[in-house]
Amino acid sequence: MSTWHVAEEDLRAYAQGELTAPLLWSADTHLIACAECRAGLAEVSDPVALDEGWERLDAELDAPRPGLLESLLMRLGIADHIARLLAATPVLRRSWLASVVFLLLTTVLAVRSTDSPTLFLALAPLLPLAGVALSYGPALDPTYEMAVVAPMHGFRLLMIRTVAVLVAGLGLNGLATLALPGYGLRALAWLLPALALTMTGLALTARLGPVLAPSLVGGSWVALLLITHAQQTSAGDPLAPFTAAGQGVAAAVAALAAGLLFLLRDRFDLFNGSAE
Amino acid sequence: MTTPTVSASGLSLRYGGTRALDDVSLRLTPGVTGLLGPNGAGKTTLLRVLATAVPPDRGAFTVLGHDPSTSRGRQEVRRSLGYLPQTPGFHPDFTAFEFVDYVAILKELTDRTARHREVRRVLEGVDLGDVRGRRIKKLSGGMRQRVALAAALVGDPGFLVLDEPTVGLDPEQRMRFRELIAQAGEGRTVLLSTHQTEDVAMLCHRVVVMAGGQVRFEGTPAELTARAAGRVWSSTERDPGAKAGWRTGTGSFRNVGDPPAGADLLEPTLEDGYLLTLDGAGAEVAA
Repeated sequence: MSTWHVAEEDLRAYAQGELTAPLLWSADTHLIACAECRAGLAEVSDPVALDEGWERLDAELDAPRPGLLESLLMRLGIADHIARLLAATPVLRRSWLASVVFLLLTTVLAVRSTDSPTLFLALAPLLPLAGVALSYGPALDPTYEMAVVAPMHGFRLLMIRTVAVLVAGLGLNGLATLALPGYGLRALAWLLPALALTMTGLALTARLGPVLAPSLVGGSWVALLLITHAQQTSAGDPLAPFTAAGQGVAAAVAALAAGLLFLLRDRFDLFNGSAE
Repeated sequence: MTTPTVSASGLSLRYGGTRALDDVSLRLTPGVTGLLGPNGAGKTTLLRVLATAVPPDRGAFTVLGHDPSTSRGRQEVRRSLGYLPQTPGFHPDFTAFEFVDYVAILKELTDRTARHREVRRVLEGVDLGDVRGRRIKKLSGGMRQRVALAAALVGDPGFLVLDEPTVGLDPEQRMRFRELIAQAGEGRTVLLSTHQTEDVAMLCHRVVVMAGGQVRFEGTPAELTARAAGRVWSSTERDPGAKAGWRTGTGSFRNVGDPPAGADLLEPTLEDGYLLTLDGAGAEVAA
């Protein structure tokens, strides 16, 4: 049997997590077999730090295994508490994402058969608007009433969810765009209207509520497209919102709505629902 | 005199054409205060106002010295607040642990170790430590209500607002829940909205009666009971002069109101005092 033991200063370093390899590997192996060194380690260990270590271990063992979405978000570097907030976002559930994918696939197929991207460009901005609208509010978030009286500002929670839903929605739209390579940059003309509609919907939510505001914005978008379609002189021309001028207007609307949303941010910190 | 945790004066709020709160003033001190009233009395509106979810149109209030009319004050109040809404919602796919953990994050507990320790503490406090890993959709109604109470208790709030937490629970669950509320009331201020005078009789050191958006009574349960002294009597038929009357298990009628001469007077209960305080304001009185 070996007569070698871990030196006391090395035991102290080991206890403080400061012992480095290869001595660390020797100490690890030796401590498993040597009761004398384990006793020595207990003597030089800081009991407070030891308790904290056990507590951390206990918390890790006790914590439930995060679900698929949470695990994915944490792998992407998102803090665990933000990942938990996002896991509670209704539209980030698989059923919603699957519906969006199905809708986009159907639209892409329709575009390929009609040889015009208009249907895709008209639909794509509505998906992020709907996603953001469905991620917040008393009718759709079962914990809304608890969340609104929590110290975390309602606007912060809204923004965390909005960014996540936008990233997911715009990402799926982007993938669908890749399936329409024949249209070049023209197939990306949905992006600025999508931002404009989403920002306007959110800004109006502060005043009109989480149902009426996105419905109004979505309805206005459809009406605008129908009107411009009726005024279209040549069937091959893009509709006005998808021209360079239309894109400029969409960018300006998105910026203005973002500013308005920021000014109205405190309204998201109060209950926005029906009374008793 | 005990410093009030909550001090409200002249709170008024209209929803559309309805006056939900009408000049409500009250003071809440540590212990459990019961908030009694019929449907539409304004109880939930008052709780939402005091929980800072809805600002009043007029009037002011403070919670633990903080004024919620400013953004900063509102946040301070919320840091001291635990709130159990009338119909608490859950993310059904979350486990009990995950749900309370989610609420703990909303309450700004971002350090994972400290937060998980707190979640375990509150779940064990409501006897759900053993089922913390079970999905909420698989828990019974009573257990879900305890999960919601645990979420309200995260962060050890000084002011706890409970909106009809015993509704829908069977008698055994209701008794268990009352024990938990009594425990929660030790060392903190609890405002308990309820339809059940039994809840108030068993739990509360103070009681507020609301009707039509107004406070009709504020005092101790004994004082509310005393309002019915000499105004409860027994008869073989329902007394048409009574404000309310009902047949009891013995077959005789229990009447409250102004008794006729020579009436067989009965010992009043809290419910008698409550019915007389409403005095026609609630549909139940005419039953």
